[in-house]
Amino acid sequence: MSPIISDIIKIIIWPPLWQLIVLGLLLPLGVVVFIIWFERKTAARVQRRIGPYHVSPRIAGGLQLVADLMRYMFQEIIIPKTVDVAPFIMAPLIALILSILPVVAMPFTSNASYFPIGMRYSLIVALALITLSPIFVIVAGWASNNKFSLIGGMREAYLITAYELIVMVSFLSASAATGSFDLVKIVEAQAGGKWLGLLNPLALLAALIGVLLSTSGFPFEIPESEHEVVAGAYTEYSGLVYGINMGAAYLKRMVYSILIALVFLGGWRPYTPGPGFVSGYLIPSIVVFIKATILMMIFSFLRAVYGRYRLDQALDIAWKYIFPLAVAGFGLSLALAYLGIY
Amino acid sequence: MPVEFAEKTVPPGRGIFKRFKGNIEAIAIGVKYFFDPKRSTLIYPKEYIKLRENYRGFIVLNAKKCINCGSCARICPAAAMKLIRRPYTDPKTGKTRMKLWPVINYNRCIFCGYCVDVCPTEALHHVNYHDVVFDNMEEMDQTLESFQQAPEHPTAKEGIPVRYIIDEEKGLVKVRVEGGEQ
Amino acid sequence: MSGIVRGNVGFNDLKIPGMWSRKIGKDLYEVFIGPQHPGSGHMRIIIRIDGDIIVEAEPDMGYVHRTMEKLSEGRAWIKAIPLFERMAIHDACNVTLPYVRAVEKLLGIEAPLRAKYLRVLLCEINRIAAFLYGFGIFGVFLGHSTMYMWPFGDREVWVELAEWLTGARLTHTYPVFGGVRRDVPEGFTDSLRKAIRYMRRRLEDYRKIFVDNPVIRARLEDVGVIPRNLAIELGITGPNLRASGVRYDVRKNHPYEVYDELDFEIPVFQEGDAYARVHQRVQEILQSLRILEQVADWLDKHPREPVMHERFWKTAPPLYKKIFQETGRVKLGAVMAIMKIPQGKAYERGETARGEISYYVESDGGNKPYRIRIHSASARNALVYKYIVPGHRVMDLPAIYGSIDYFPPEADR
Ligand code: SF4
Ligand code: SF4
Repeated sequence: MSPIISDIIKIIIWPPLWQLIVLGLLLPLGVVVFIIWFERKTAARVQRRIGPYHVSPRIAGGLQLVADLMRYMFQEIIIPKTVDVAPFIMAPLIALILSILPVVAMPFTSNASYFPIGMRYSLIVALALITLSPIFVIVAGWASNNKFSLIGGMREAYLITAYELIVMVSFLSASAATGSFDLVKIVEAQAGGKWLGLLNPLALLAALIGVLLSTSGFPFEIPESEHEVVAGAYTEYSGLVYGINMGAAYLKRMVYSILIALVFLGGWRPYTPGPGFVSGYLIPSIVVFIKATILMMIFSFLRAVYGRYRLDQALDIAWKYIFPLAVAGFGLSLALAYLGIY
Repeated sequence: MPVEFAEKTVPPGRGIFKRFKGNIEAIAIGVKYFFDPKRSTLIYPKEYIKLRENYRGFIVLNAKKCINCGSCARICPAAAMKLIRRPYTDPKTGKTRMKLWPVINYNRCIFCGYCVDVCPTEALHHVNYHDVVFDNMEEMDQTLESFQQAPEHPTAKEGIPVRYIIDEEKGLVKVRVEGGEQ
Repeated sequence: MSGIVRGNVGFNDLKIPGMWSRKIGKDLYEVFIGPQHPGSGHMRIIIRIDGDIIVEAEPDMGYVHRTMEKLSEGRAWIKAIPLFERMAIHDACNVTLPYVRAVEKLLGIEAPLRAKYLRVLLCEINRIAAFLYGFGIFGVFLGHSTMYMWPFGDREVWVELAEWLTGARLTHTYPVFGGVRRDVPEGFTDSLRKAIRYMRRRLEDYRKIFVDNPVIRARLEDVGVIPRNLAIELGITGPNLRASGVRYDVRKNHPYEVYDELDFEIPVFQEGDAYARVHQRVQEILQSLRILEQVADWLDKHPREPVMHERFWKTAPPLYKKIFQETGRVKLGAVMAIMKIPQGKAYERGETARGEISYYVESDGGNKPYRIRIHSASARNALVYKYIVPGHRVMDLPAIYGSIDYFPPEADR
């Protein structure tokens, strides 16, 4: 192999870059495309329909999403005269970047040479980065200068107040149990089937509901509720920019799912990463992605079963029931730590 | 006669246990249908419903039976059926005179079937399909000649004829029937 | 409109009709919901909101007004039947039956017994289909997509039955003066019984996924309460009225056709909220199924006999009678198109899926109606928005709208 090629390969698999581009953007995008297809197919099955079909009947309409993507790409991007153009265009892009950024803080292996950014506080950093993107949804709603967008953005703002604390407390219960903010240590502590999600189901449940709240999944699909606010903050968007908005929402959910997989579902365990790129990096990250995808599928399934709560009811549930649940999960984690399980 | 009404109340549903049960039931029924969807979707151009013989579809005139009474045009609620004057040669006497013949305008027809039901000699009948293609609006205004032929049925040429039967378990069940033109 | 400035325009400077929310007082904004809004149908509701709370609501009807009453004055009596069907096409038989009965009253005739049973048969099939339609719309208003697809799929069962009976999926034009247009086909009652059993089973599924779903309960309980006295005052009708505890159903209080011979009971709920209205409709579907079972039994026991009144059937030529015996299709006499109705006035009412519909029919002895006045159920129910929506949150509006099962084409006529 000539030195240039091997240099290029080295740059490509340089962990921070590989992590952000491949594991943060490309692979999640593939999963998201699968999940959107799966969501439509699941809803169709539960509702006794067929779902996407005609684009590629042999593989059950699998190419429908590609067709949709093409449509978004070639659709005219309409920018209404009344919007504030700069934030209107920038907000979805920044939201997209911010929703995949947390991946750089998440190690997918215990092999130290493949840490994206080695640090002792990776859980805190990941959580902090995750909470940035909703601000740009509000910015998008505000910049659209449309009553529905504005209401949608405001609803998002209301929901942030509800889910942020839940998500924080429930994820930090892992730190309480294992005594570490380092995701690698948290995952390694769960080796041997001692998954935190099994030993501490309260925190897992609180985290799952928190994620549903934050990514407006059913039954909390409130900011985009079609029958009151059309498409919420995204009402004025069209074409590719709208596609980016939607993609960002799914990517955000994917990143949350990865984090749950790491923190509660044992990360790359039961696989033990070895040396080298394949066994030390590729396989563990695939294990994590499979776990995250299963979580995504569960989230998607709920669409077929639930309607949506009212905004005040969602806040009510979040503060009255889920927040205490998260605190109880934190307490349970302390108990686990006290008993010396981790 | 005493008027019977049944006083009812909404079943109670508050309380953590009831809510838990409600959630579990909802998810369980979703999972049940996920694994056994019992669907009956018609994959339309590939399959088409072979409608029953009494279906009120497009209308065809049998000019041999028509006695030019004009009842069909008179009863038409949408003014779709109108009478046109055309020469007619009596095969027995060989005399030619003008007669009124019905023609239909599918721009207006609402397929109520009054005209077919009112025709004293059964000169009109319905065909049992409704998915017919017209290229333009003029074509929908039938002439006396086109009104005497059943319109072309394009889906029958390429589709598989099916029919829905009602089933206790599944609601509608799609069964294949004979009679495609393929 | 004073020119739109590019860039960030102040929120109150927006002058695009329908896209603005006008400030009409301190902390009070006006928002137009509809008529192109996904959550409204062919009507507009103008709401004034203070934060998230609706302070005032004004239903603005009339977007699908088609001058039904006036149109009917220009055409023969029988031609008004397909016209009135267009008020509520999925409830066609219920909507036109009182008109047919009013004209029959003027003619001084009554349909034969078998025809009456057949009318009730189609009325109840239509009623179930219309309830299911309402459920579907309601479900999607609450974001419950499964409850949108399921009732629409199951409605297909009833539409299929109606098509088999009448030859048309929706606009059946089934009852005509003096009788009905088709007799039941061979094997119809068996399928009907199967459909009844299927529907009972499905209602249990609906209960699990929708009616008892905690999310739906949370959305509907104590929302949009219509107190009993308000319901009476406003003249609400149908399931909405009965869900508020008023014992009124035309089928019971003023029985028509054969409803007084059938054994069924109409449920009445006391709560008057949106959730009670859901239960009310579920219970009414069960009662309709009960009626249909009895009608099926009756039809099985009685062989085919004329379903047209003597006055029209006596003079029918042999060909007509032969066709009826063979296919069950009733040929209409040529007189139908030009029939003169004796001078007089008649008033008839009937219970549609959405409530009471009433027709006032006046004839001057000619072959066209002199005046027909329709009072449809939805027009009466629409008023309720003005009184019960204020005080609720914006997100409650679709829930209330769906629970009333308001159907604009029927209200606007
Ligand atoms: S089906 Fe009805 S609308 Fe059509 S031509 Fe016949 S009478 Fe007229
Ligand atoms: S009613 Fe029948 S016979 Fe009379 S004009 Fe029409 S088609 Fe001919």
